[in-house]
Order: sequence, then structure tokens, then C-alpha cells
Amino acid sequence: MKETCDGPGRTPAAADVIGATWMRFWFAPAGPWPLALVRVLGGLLALALWVSYAWDLEVWFGPRGMIPPALLGAWRSPFALSLFDHAGTSTAVRVGYLAGGLVLAAFTIGFATPVTAVLGGLAFTTLLHRGPMLVGPADDVAAVILWCTAIGRSGDALSVDRLIADRLGRPAPCPAFRTRIALGLLRVHASVIAAAAALAQLKGDVWWNGTAAWWLASRADSRLVDLTGAFLRSEYLMNLVTHAIVLFEVVVAAGLWFSAVRGVIVPVAVVVWPVVGAIAGEPFWGLAMAVLTLGCLPTAVECGE
Amino acid sequence: MSQHTPPTSPSETVRAGITVALGVYLVGLALCVAGNSASGSSALVRTIHGRLFAPWMTLPWLDLGYDTRLTHAGVDDGDHRFEFQRLDDPGATGWIVLPGPTMHGERAARWRRLARATAVNEADPDREALLPAAVGAGTFGPWRTGDVSLRVMRHLPSDRGDVLAGRSDVAGSRDRAYAARVRLVDGEIQLIASTPRDELAPLVPEPKP
Repeated sequence: MKETCDGPGRTPAAADVIGATWMRFWFAPAGPWPLALVRVLGGLLALALWVSYAWDLEVWFGPRGMIPPALLGAWRSPFALSLFDHAGTSTAVRVGYLAGGLVLAAFTIGFATPVTAVLGGLAFTTLLHRGPMLVGPADDVAAVILWCTAIGRSGDALSVDRLIADRLGRPAPCPAFRTRIALGLLRVHASVIAAAAALAQLKGDVWWNGTAAWWLASRADSRLVDLTGAFLRSEYLMNLVTHAIVLFEVVVAAGLWFSAVRGVIVPVAVVVWPVVGAIAGEPFWGLAMAVLTLGCLPTAVECGE
Repeated sequence: MSQHTPPTSPSETVRAGITVALGVYLVGLALCVAGNSASGSSALVRTIHGRLFAPWMTLPWLDLGYDTRLTHAGVDDGDHRFEFQRLDDPGATGWIVLPGPTMHGERAARWRRLARATAVNEADPDREALLPAAVGAGTFGPWRTGDVSLRVMRHLPSDRGDVLAGRSDVAGSRDRAYAARVRLVDGEIQLIASTPRDELAPLVPEPKP
């Protein structure tokens, strides 16, 4: 029996258990590898989303573009702001875009990570605020990944910063509580976003009557794979895919909180999220959710153990 | 064996401060999810979220509902696209489609979102005509024109039962979600929205008593 502040032999009070769980979840130092992996993959994802603007940058955000800053008052919260609002010339838009891309690239390779992580998050979200009607669910998740990795020490592994430190003979960094906080926030968001998606879907009849997969597959413009033939042949398959998507989201949302199953759920989710994204015609959303879930990997590396 | 720096552990005061910050953020996250739902939100949630959390969660793009419904099989859930036609060039008879057939991935998805926003927001009195006028005017420079016809076409997938019964094709159909003419007149942008024919009331002479 554990000792508590109430004295030996007493069962820990519920408040003590909750407090200890809270402290362990948020403050137990964590090794750098899972967060570094999230940084690399999240950075690549953010870069891919960033590059998707490249061809139409001028057409959308240029001085005579389709989305002039004056229009945004009706679309954005009064608290929103984009540095691109003040880019009054094509050159300014291009320079800002290029600078943001370079910062995200530096963050991805882990160069000056504490600085580029924050600047990368700022650059990415400032671009999203410039054209909110262009933003998709993958952008939303990528923003979460960028901010969470900015909180932790994501440059302690798999980074140029680490290579430079090794060259200079600096000791390997120990697990840090900041990294634990970042991983904790990634897990909270992975669970909340999966739950919110499942809830949003279950408000529609098609997710109950099992036909949602058909409606997703029959969107000819945005789909990645044409499953209409298979769904025409088998109604059960269509029902199965529909229900499996919702069930998967519910299992991820809940299962990430149980250490007994988390070790199984995380690798499965990393594979299944991109499949769900491909079926839904939102491949980057699926990839972003997979990267977010990677942050829930157990951190076994402990300093001195 | 590699050397390690000592593990970093925060002091009691720092932990208390972080605990408060995390608590506030988690409450904010819950209220953002509840307050940004497509189903709407209560006045209580709206007020607390709007006054206490939206001001600082908007800027980092965290004031979101994350309610990715994927589809509810509504008319607005289909793929949308733009179609433009230059009206001041008699030789330009075809429609320019955006996203075009060679456009793929997230770039095409962004064009589809812009097209959808153009059509869907016409029902919102605060946003009515703003985006179509801006999108139409945005074509003037690149295409060296001052008069375009713009329409947003949405894809209407076929019902599986109708396809099996042979009543419709698996490819579905497209209908016009929005149409307007956008032109430059004396340096000002003029938008003439087109009303679908079936929405116009027929002019029927009143019967004589």
C-alpha cells in the first residue's frame, strides 16, 4: 500500500490520484524521438500545404487578386490578422511567401528549431488567415501540429541542431518536461479532433443508414479512388466502410487514453487515417491526422535508465 | 554510452503556472469545439467563448470546431467548380473551368472550396455578392478583360438505388449553384446576379372580375 500525505497505510484519496496522474501526464520528462518525428513529418505536411498555394498566389492574394484584404472583414473574426494583408505588391506577396516557405523548411530539418518552430507556426497561420475560404481540414490539423511541436523541444533529435551539437561535443539532451507537454497536447488534440469528426458525421442520416461511403465515393472530382463499382456490387461493403470510419474515429478518440490499448491503436491509426482520407477525398487531412496520432507513441526513452 | 545533460524538471511554481495555463487552454479548446459546431451553439457557450477565448485563440488558428463531417449527402456537399466566359471577346466562346482537368491535389481542393464559398455565402446577407464580385474582378487582370460571366457548378452525385435501377448514371449530374455577370464600368465593378429561370415568377395577367 502506498504512503500518502495522510500518513502510512491510508488509501490514496481520489484527489491525490488525479493530481498524480495529471503531474505524470504533463510533467514527467519525455524523450525527444516521438516529437522529433512529428516535427519532421508535420513540417513536410505543412510544406506540402504551403506549396499548394504557389501556383495561384498572385491570382488569389495579388494586388488585383480574387481575395482582396478589404473583403476579409466579412469572413474573418475581428481578432484575425494576416501579415499578407499588408503585402500591397506582387513582389511583397512573393517575398513573404518565399520567406515563410524557407522558415517551414528550416523547421522541418530542425535548424534553429526553437526559433523556426514559432516562426513556422506564425507563417503558416498568417497564410491561412489571408484566405480563410481556401482552408481545409488538413490546414486546421497542421496548425495544431506546428504549435504543439513549437512548445516542446522538437529539435533535440533528427535535426540539424542535434548534428551541430554533436560536432561541438555537447552532451545528448535529456528528456524534458516541455516535450511531455507538447506530446500531451498532441494526444488531447488527436482525441478531440477524432471525436469531433465522429460527432459531426453522426449528425447526418447517411452515416446511420450506411450510405455515406457511397456519397464520398461518387464525388468524381475530389475522390482519389473510385469505389463506386465495388459499392454498387455490394451494399454490405458500402455499409461496412461507412460504419468502420465512424467506429475507427470513436475508438481512436477513446483508446488513446488507455495505455493498455494505445500501443496497438497508434500504429493502426497511423495506417488507417490516410486510408480514411483517401476514401473521403481529403488525403492531406488523413495524413495530418496520422502525424498527429504519431505524437501519442509511448516515450520509453528515459534519461539515465 | 553517450553523455546526457541532467533532466529538466520544473519548480513547483512553474508547474502551478503551467497547470493553470493548460487548464485554461483545455477549457478554451472544449468551448471552441462546442462554439464552432455547424449545429450552432447556445447563447451561454457563444458568450463565454466569444468574450474569453476567441480573442486569443483566433490568431494561432485554434478557434475551430474540427467538425469534419466529410459528407451529409446534401447539395452543398458535392464538388463545386468555377466556370468563366469572357464576354467582351466574341472569339472566346468556351468556358474556362477552375479547377481544370489538369489540376490535382490540394491546389484543386482549394479552388473547389473557393467555388463552394462563392455559391454558399450568397445566402448570407453580410457576405452576399462580395466574393463573386471579387472573384470575377480577379480574372480581369490575367485575362485582359473587363466583362466575364461567372458561374459555380456543383456536382450532384446519383443515388445508388437510382443507378442500380438504371434511372441515372453513376457519374451524376451538375447544376448551377450560382451565376453572375461581372464587369468593369467606368472603373467600378458591377455585378449582375443571374436568377435561375425556375425561381422567376411567371407574369400572369390578373383575371378580370
